[in-house]
Amino acid sequence: MLANICTGAIKGIEGFAVSVEVDIAPGMPTLAVVGLPDVEVRESKERVVAAIRNSGFDFPLKRITVNLSPAELRKSGTHFDLPIALGILAASGQLSANAVEKLSQFLFLGELALDGSLRPCAGVLPMLISCQQFAKTAVIPPQNVLEGQVSSTPFITPHTLKELVDYLEERINQNQVKINYIPTEETEQEAELDFCEVKGQALAKRALEIAAAGGHNVLMIGLPGTGKSMLAKRFPGILPPLTQEEALEITKIYSICNLMGKSKLLTRRPFRDPHHTISDVALIGGGSNPRPGEVSLAHNGVLFLDEFAEFSRSSLEVLREPLENGKVTISRAKETVSYPARFTLVAAMNPCPCGNLGNPLKPCTCTPMQINRYKSRISGPLLDRIDLTVNLNPVKYTDWNKQSEGETSAQIRERVLQAREIQRRRFAGTSTTANAFMSAKELKEFCPLPTGADTILEAAMRKFGLSARSLDKILKTARTIADLERSEQIQTKHLVEVMQYRPLDRKGVADL
Amino acid sequence: MNSAISAEERLARIRLNAFLYFRADWLERLIEIFGSAQDILRQNAETLSQEANLNPDTAAKLLEAAFSINPQEEWDKTTKLNGHIYIPEDEEYPQSLRNCKEAPLALYVLGKLPPDEHACVAVVGTRKITPYGRRVTRKLGEELAQCGVTIISGLARGIDSESHAAAVRLKKPTVAVIGTGIGRCYPAENRALEKALLEYGGAVVSELPFNSPPNAFHFPRRNRIIAALSQPIVVVEGEIKSGALITAKLALEMGKDVLAVPGPIDSPQSGGPNSLIRQGAGVVTSVADILDYIPQVSRFGLDSRFFEHTDTAPDKPQEDLPAKQQQVMQIIGTGSCSLDQVAEALGTDVPETATLLFELEVKGFLSCENGLYSKNKF
Repeated sequence: MLANICTGAIKGIEGFAVSVEVDIAPGMPTLAVVGLPDVEVRESKERVVAAIRNSGFDFPLKRITVNLSPAELRKSGTHFDLPIALGILAASGQLSANAVEKLSQFLFLGELALDGSLRPCAGVLPMLISCQQFAKTAVIPPQNVLEGQVSSTPFITPHTLKELVDYLEERINQNQVKINYIPTEETEQEAELDFCEVKGQALAKRALEIAAAGGHNVLMIGLPGTGKSMLAKRFPGILPPLTQEEALEITKIYSICNLMGKSKLLTRRPFRDPHHTISDVALIGGGSNPRPGEVSLAHNGVLFLDEFAEFSRSSLEVLREPLENGKVTISRAKETVSYPARFTLVAAMNPCPCGNLGNPLKPCTCTPMQINRYKSRISGPLLDRIDLTVNLNPVKYTDWNKQSEGETSAQIRERVLQAREIQRRRFAGTSTTANAFMSAKELKEFCPLPTGADTILEAAMRKFGLSARSLDKILKTARTIADLERSEQIQTKHLVEVMQYRPLDRKGVADL
Repeated sequence: MNSAISAEERLARIRLNAFLYFRADWLERLIEIFGSAQDILRQNAETLSQEANLNPDTAAKLLEAAFSINPQEEWDKTTKLNGHIYIPEDEEYPQSLRNCKEAPLALYVLGKLPPDEHACVAVVGTRKITPYGRRVTRKLGEELAQCGVTIISGLARGIDSESHAAAVRLKKPTVAVIGTGIGRCYPAENRALEKALLEYGGAVVSELPFNSPPNAFHFPRRNRIIAALSQPIVVVEGEIKSGALITAKLALEMGKDVLAVPGPIDSPQSGGPNSLIRQGAGVVTSVADILDYIPQVSRFGLDSRFFEHTDTAPDKPQEDLPAKQQQVMQIIGTGSCSLDQVAEALGTDVPETATLLFELEVKGFLSCENGLYSKNKF
């Protein structure tokens, strides 16, 4: 007997339809799974055998072949358990003809426990979205109900294999196999962090406001305890809200990584702060069975790298591709996948290895050589992708004790939203989303130099040793400052302000 | 070049010089015993130690060091860079160095050394320069150079580079005594400075074999050459235990005058000069204080204007600045301030403060390091 069951699989962050063909023939009792299954899928046999037996069905002692088609694409994930089990039941004649008929109307996803109950699995959302075109009803584990609701696909959520078969045999009705979970809005509402809690540091706050408004990357350099991490954690709070499209994109990535938590659709911009001992693969994504890395989990959000100079050199270098292209392409011999990774990089580092350089109270114990080596860990090409660099100095007690609080995140966000709106209109109909991503052509069109700025730029180039490439960065950032002020044209004062955020100077050479 | 010394003997001397701890009085004694440098090199360690009463280890190390280099190659490489290797018998070898107890057996020189009896002042100090040290070094260095004095220093980071750069900006000669062989540039970022220095008639001097690396123990030893070549020695900034103080100590042992620039008592970099002053070093508050110590024989040709002591306060070049910018200069004073501090004191917002600071920086009144602004000029 032959059975054909529909399910899905993941490639990159997109799903595709897979049909599970099960053939049962007389012969030595074996269960073989073919069609490029990964380890999880091959292990699924053992779970399926136990789940079928423990659900009160017979496991046929015959030669069983399971083929996952299209056979040339690699399949991974634990959600193949359910379709394989159903295929075996159908092929061994344990389902009525009516039930077998109905199988083709469904898309089955789910991991099975040994007792036959359904367990949650990763990547449900992207698979549901890509299989919408087949107009099937999805069968998903109850714990994945939120993803079902996001995808707007009709679905049912049986708790066990037995329950599902009962439903197919029409022994129970649809309401009994569907749970309707209404997530309490903001279930995980943490105490909202606000910019007004950070005392002093007006320059750094301004830099972050510009970064939020134009999608620029920021590097904060400062003594320990000056508020670098505090500021970074508050940064997502001034970013514009996620659009539906963006939210869906990141929810898909989180679904694949099984990091959905309790929220339905991710409504906040992600904030990822990996430790500096992270491996290259964990940061960028990859592995023999490719998975998204931290840069993709930070897609449409913020990637905060504290102790920036302590990251291994190779980890920092792999950041260059996503910073440039907004995506990560992972090539393996068998396949090439690409994950979106358009994030705002917020990096923080100490001014020197001991952390006291420029501290008025404690002497720095580093040698000039150590300081140079520390700073040169951040390569030039990487610095080129960071538009704003800002130094943080210790906050004085009077500042810290000040009664009047600074601006709230809401006030800053107001201005950011306005600037974003201006950019949205400016780049309407193009793929550019913010000033930071302007192409050379757009730069020329939207960032004409104000009259009289030539002398300033020339003086700055000479004084600060700026390269021509850094002038592009300066123009982009100046554009954002102008947008924040709702100024049609870039003005000289905008350019001058950008000079405050120039990259870390690593020369210390006497002027000749 | 002294033609009385044969080329072979010269090469033998260059060999002997590769042993860094060779004392000048040894050579005299060894030559007396064995006849010539070439003959010294023909001995084995045992005879050397027995005949000349040297420690056997030292004798072995001496021979080992001497045969670790190829003197002909040293000579060729140096000549290729238009350099010279002088030995004390040459008239080009500086007189002041020849008189010194541990005069190097060979001196590698690129460029042109100042004539004997020319006014030479050492300006030395820490590699961890503060904005105060930078301002002082620039001002003193420029005035010394303008006056006609040759500045001697060590081409290290910080005070050394600033003092050489001050002379180079005025296209005046300056001498760098380096702690590597002349075939290398350390630190590498000073390559442009070294090139400019040679272009304006200065010299780069080293006692070390052509390609010697920057070993830590080379630097304190080269300080004795700095001290020997100069009179007086000015210490601008340096921590209590620093190379600058080693130079000062060596200079005192040679009977040179040591002067120090007083600094804030809470700045670690001024700890060295302040303690020198406590011990009786001369105080430098203007270039005239330095020029007072230049020996009479060397004063010919120096610009006499700089010798006058004036009691006027340092000029205030910022007087022609707009009011707001003057206010910024006052807020910063002689210390250093971040943009946030200036903004708070002025009551301006970030963009406006940024504009003010930028203009002052481009005009050269302020310099910014690690986000802290400080006065760049006197």
